[in-house]
Amino acid sequence: MKLFKKIFLGAAVFGLVASTDAFAAGNKIVMDGSTTVGPIAKAFASSFTKSTGVQVTVSESGSGNGAKSLINKTCDIANMSRSMKDNELAAARGKGVNPVEHVVALDGLAMIVHPSNRVNALSKAQIRGIYMGRYTNWSQVGGPNAPIVMIQRESNSGTQDSFKELVMGKENPISKRAETQASNGAIKSRVASTPNAIGFVGLGFADNSVKALLVDGVEPDARTVKNGTYPIHRALFMYTNGQPSGVVKQFIDMPKTAEGKQIISEIGFVNYY
Amino acid sequence: MNLGTRKLLDRSFTALGIGSIVIMAMTLLIVLVPIVTNGLGALVFKGTIEHRKMLAAEFNRGDRAELERQTALADSSRKPVYAMMAAFEQELTGMDEPRRQQYQQQYAQVRSAIQTLLGPIPGDPLPALTRSQYGQTRWEKAEERLHEVLYEKKWDYSNPDAPAKEYSVSRAAGFEGTSLVKLFPYVEKNIDRMLMPEWTLYWGFITDSSVDAHIFGGIWPEIQGTLFLAIGAMLFAFPLGVVAAIYFTEYAREGFFTSVLRSANSTLAGVPSIVFGLFGLAFFINTLKVSESKSVLAGSLTLAIMILPTIIRAAEEAILSVPKTYKEASLSLGSTKWNTIVTVILPAALPGIITGGVISLGRAAGETAPIIFTAAVSVGSAIGLADVFSSPTPALSWNIYNLASEHEAASEIRHVQYGMVLSLVTIVLLLNLSAIVLRARISQKLKG
Repeated sequence: MKLFKKIFLGAAVFGLVASTDAFAAGNKIVMDGSTTVGPIAKAFASSFTKSTGVQVTVSESGSGNGAKSLINKTCDIANMSRSMKDNELAAARGKGVNPVEHVVALDGLAMIVHPSNRVNALSKAQIRGIYMGRYTNWSQVGGPNAPIVMIQRESNSGTQDSFKELVMGKENPISKRAETQASNGAIKSRVASTPNAIGFVGLGFADNSVKALLVDGVEPDARTVKNGTYPIHRALFMYTNGQPSGVVKQFIDMPKTAEGKQIISEIGFVNYY
Repeated sequence: MNLGTRKLLDRSFTALGIGSIVIMAMTLLIVLVPIVTNGLGALVFKGTIEHRKMLAAEFNRGDRAELERQTALADSSRKPVYAMMAAFEQELTGMDEPRRQQYQQQYAQVRSAIQTLLGPIPGDPLPALTRSQYGQTRWEKAEERLHEVLYEKKWDYSNPDAPAKEYSVSRAAGFEGTSLVKLFPYVEKNIDRMLMPEWTLYWGFITDSSVDAHIFGGIWPEIQGTLFLAIGAMLFAFPLGVVAAIYFTEYAREGFFTSVLRSANSTLAGVPSIVFGLFGLAFFINTLKVSESKSVLAGSLTLAIMILPTIIRAAEEAILSVPKTYKEASLSLGSTKWNTIVTVILPAALPGIITGGVISLGRAAGETAPIIFTAAVSVGSAIGLADVFSSPTPALSWNIYNLASEHEAASEIRHVQYGMVLSLVTIVLLLNLSAIVLRARISQKLKG
């Protein structure tokens, strides 16, 4: 049985090594939800851990999952790129959870196309037409003679819900031909590699690998989102169960601090406070 | 069948066999070579002075005096760049309105390109994000950024029937007749001196935590999380699996009940892993509430259920392959059934049991789907052993996916992603190797 002893010894040594390393400060914050809020949450987490020593973990699984996690009390903060729906609020109350909304930042949904696409601007009505399947060729909206590949987000996504609400309206369903991607990053890389594609991402995700379109003649940037002239704008939220206290409150208040504001604008989103 | 045909058939079968092995080896090579070469790129690369500055500031590592000397040297060659920019800014204010507007936008692009290349411009407020506090840390990225400083990417939309073509325009030409035109050849010529690339072996990639969501730093939290999850899964699944196998082979009477159990076990082995993931979320976290949030514990339990059928099957086979005579000899000497199992059958079956276990360990380390909802997060620090019951953890398999698709700067940090892939492949390979070695040693001991 010498071998068993060896195995046990090995396990014990491993455990010892692991336990000496990075003991948590007793406090931790668990965040779940939106991939749009993800970059802000991750950057906040990194700076928060550095300044306070509190461990912060961030999952990016979509706004719908964030809401579910909060309702099931498996996260401290739910990141959401839309506000909670009535049925989610009802489910939360049913489980004794009281979701409190905190605005983190403002965001414009950037309509992105491949840089080789000659289209520079679309109206909201044209975008709606594209996603309803009324326009199927770029030439119908002033582009090259090429079929339109439209890309949407999965049903779990807050960005998808915002898009439906702000652009499509209730009675106009998105065409079944639309392709689905599971995150902002995935839409961006799909559009960046597909010359005929169109997609929508949070403002912080639009970089120079894709071209952000003018919508109703307005360019999406910090100024136009802040003053509301860019037509597809929305707020990004963090939800807590009840009014936050302690380190969670400190974290939630970060968008109000000078550092938090700087982080938000450096990532490419727009300050609310 | 005559002898000739038989020989021919025999030969062609051999050829087919060799052919398929060659194809398999080539596929493995095609898969592994890019993983290894790109993955090593995360460890061994030409690091610029910005990388050394980052290491000193974030991890307190490196030779301070040498770094200061190099920084001074690099700064002295950067100085003319900033001086030229300041001079041009001065020149801008003196221009008439239409000309100024024409240059202002172009200059803003140049300025931000220089900033991404060399780091914050002196006099600007320090950025809050760590990623923008440094210039390019890797030489190959710096070369790409240099191209952006020197050339502007444009698209030719002139032909309405064809897709637009990309072309580059020299930025220097755009600033013809101003003082800034000298900047471009200077930057191109002195880029080496400004960034001081050196071949760097960055061991910290394995042992450091990530800085600013994997943009800098290493992948230790992911490696540790993977090991915790896999070992945790083993702690639950291995004893359970062996006990179940003993029951199936030694105690269970063949009948309806046992055959149902057996087929249930086989079915479980074929269930897709995402189903286990959702089950883990619904059962361990939402129903049993083993932890407040996702946690290593919940992830390990889910993985344990996933690998349990494999362990049971392997252990069963190993126990069944122990010669019947061993058992009969032991029983005839007056040993009890339990005593026989523990002292005779299990030791003889141990090599097979352990091989099955370690192969399952490799599978647990590599699975993504079961831990998405039960344990994995995209950003988090390395957790202590005391936190495994309550804290979620980053893990290699999930973070590879996250960096490939969700990360906002995915295309900037491909090297980190490849580094993670290489680490995961290496971990699984080492586990399997250790299984082979362990098996050989135990068999030898049993024989001798």
